[in-house]
Amino acid sequence: MNLAVLGTVVLGGVAALDAVPVGQIMLSQPLVTAALLGGIWGDWHTALEVGVVLQLLAASTMPVGSRTPEDYASGGVIGTAVAIALAAEQPFAMAREASALVGVLVGLVAATLGVPLIKWQRRRNEGLSRWCEAELRRGRESALTSAQLAGVVFAFAVGVGYTAVATALAVRLLGPLVSHESLRLSRAWTLAQPLWIGLGLAQIIGAFIQRRLPRAALFGFALVVAWLVLVLGNH
Amino acid sequence: MKPLRDRDLLRMALRTTLLQATFNYERQQGIGWAWALEPALGRLVPDPGTRRERLAEHTAYFNTQPTLASLALGAVARLEEGRARGAGPDADAIARVKSVLGASAAAIGDPLFWFTLRPFAACLGVLLAPASLAGGALALCLCYNIVHLGVRTFGVGWGYRLGPAVLGDPLRGRLTRLTRLLAIAGAALTGVIVATTLVPGGSPRPIVFQVALMAGLGVGLVGAQRGRPSPTEWALGVGALCVLSTMLR
Repeated sequence: MNLAVLGTVVLGGVAALDAVPVGQIMLSQPLVTAALLGGIWGDWHTALEVGVVLQLLAASTMPVGSRTPEDYASGGVIGTAVAIALAAEQPFAMAREASALVGVLVGLVAATLGVPLIKWQRRRNEGLSRWCEAELRRGRESALTSAQLAGVVFAFAVGVGYTAVATALAVRLLGPLVSHESLRLSRAWTLAQPLWIGLGLAQIIGAFIQRRLPRAALFGFALVVAWLVLVLGNH
Repeated sequence: MKPLRDRDLLRMALRTTLLQATFNYERQQGIGWAWALEPALGRLVPDPGTRRERLAEHTAYFNTQPTLASLALGAVARLEEGRARGAGPDADAIARVKSVLGASAAAIGDPLFWFTLRPFAACLGVLLAPASLAGGALALCLCYNIVHLGVRTFGVGWGYRLGPAVLGDPLRGRLTRLTRLLAIAGAALTGVIVATTLVPGGSPRPIVFQVALMAGLGVGLVGAQRGRPSPTEWALGVGALCVLSTMLR
């Protein structure tokens, strides 16, 4: 249990690094962090439920221009970790669905609240940047490496801290709610899950089709063919 | 002056992974850019004082799509090589070329990497995840990184060989065609995802699920026409409504 908690918190830091400061090799995508958390906690089912929904919603969030997008790197880790931690305390399958619902909601809130945190981090980096240039002009060439290292350590620490605090708070505050209202929350999940998947897919479809009729036709054609193959294959 | 070696270009390529380590609103990727260029300047400019001046020049504002920044970095290294030989452009000219290359790389890279490749890789991962979550996650990473890491690793070399012309018509055409192909394949892929979500393994989901999925698609497509509310705000609103409706029943 303690190792799983440690792994989750470290993953929060790694995801925060991958999102912008280091690499961008998609380790921070919710589906990837969900897979890692599923392995760490040994609960693939809850990780899959939460990871797919958050991934579809995250895929349409673009880091373009001066816009600071929602922080789905932290949101993905925090949401999935909360869902798995809550599900681990519930004996019934129904309560697991309630945990998944709460996990996705917490993930969305964490992604939204992560925006001011990212902005704060970038403002702190402005000071680092000015310091670096001043040191360079003063003759210290290694200031560049020091500034880069400081940026990486800072981003990792913010990611770890945010994941630890948000996950602990959410599990502590929402645990009793999931225990007492699991029936209602699991009903809400049966409605919310397809709505979220639809919302996320719609954004992605919009990005691919871009109001071009042939692409829309291809989407429809692929849908019908795949549907027929699945249904007829089953019979 | 010694010319740049493959080793220097490789070191620069490796350093591009930290291009945004100190990303900020004032200079954006400026510090990361200077740090990535350091191996080239270390080789080209032996005098420490001059080298520090050059590095300080490169800490100025710079921003582009981070993967394609490799191409711009290689091209600027070539210009710096010419400058070190005394035959190349001056600092102002290099700053202007940097600015143009940054804008061009963003114009090609944003549609390719953010609007198309990342959603495509995500869809591939989501499609495979029900069979194996780890497999889906691996597919997502591989699909994105074949292009991303390929360009990051070899992009500095391409930029160095072709100079500022690296983002000219031939490469621009190839990357634009790749973007279009991925978008077409993505449209088909999302169709398959909708079908497999409605009838996973050939067994139809409950009617409530199917109707809710279609409602989500409809609301999402209408919502996508406007910037606000954002998809995340829509999702939060929808989630809150679902919880409230079941709590009040």
